[in-house]
Amino acid sequence: MMENSDKQRRQFLKRAISASTLALVASTGLLAPRRVLAHWPSDAFTADTVEDALLALLGQAQDIPEEKVSFKVGSPPSYAVNGASVPFEVISSLENIERIAILVDKNPNPLAMSIELTADVKLPFKSMIKVAEDSKIIAVIRADGKLYQTSRDISVDIGGCS
Amino acid sequence: MAITARDRIRAKLKDGDTTVRVLLAHPMYTGRSKDENGKLIPAQFIQDIRCWRNGNEVMAIKCGTATARNPYFSFQLAGGAVGDKIMIRWVDNLGAKGVTETELR
Repeated sequence: MMENSDKQRRQFLKRAISASTLALVASTGLLAPRRVLAHWPSDAFTADTVEDALLALLGQAQDIPEEKVSFKVGSPPSYAVNGASVPFEVISSLENIERIAILVDKNPNPLAMSIELTADVKLPFKSMIKVAEDSKIIAVIRADGKLYQTSRDISVDIGGCS
Repeated sequence: MAITARDRIRAKLKDGDTTVRVLLAHPMYTGRSKDENGKLIPAQFIQDIRCWRNGNEVMAIKCGTATARNPYFSFQLAGGAVGDKIMIRWVDNLGAKGVTETELR
């Protein structure tokens, strides 16, 4: 009986030690390949409202000074015939941009795209999104640890089935 | 469902900077659209796109369902020389993957 509990104790100790070393190694990043950027943030992408999506992804945002950013949606601006592919373009003079998030207010899941940039990347960034109905498109930029937000209204003729 | 169509990528040197344009071939089903029999098409969309330049990761794009069908991206990379290798990899929510690569010119 005595022997048995001793054995158990030893085994427990052994496991505890190996687990803690493993955790240590993992935390230093030796095990995993260099992962600069996090996983797909499912909370943010499945959120139903802009506020939830933003909070899950970035936190609170302040309004951007207009001259620092050029955010164009639709072509011609603020209008799109087909909501299934609405072009947008982001240009900004802000320094050290870490992330850009594009949100569509009225879409079932507002967060459309989250772009994680390194210092090598220069703007403009152009892409296309789906817009379900006339809506506000919000661009949130994280630069130097601060959040900036700007928005454009867009009207679509045919809603993109999103 | 396997995706067989080819992705396209172009990288061009312009005023000393690299301009990359990518067109990925992907249906980007949101899970809310219906097929001709009125049945819901299950969601299938690209979640993660990463871009490498000469083996260095320079950008990651996380996409939700609201990214348009056959996603198109255009962006610039600072500097660059002719012959740089630009690589794009993507993964969708069902685990389908794609790689496309080009040389800067």
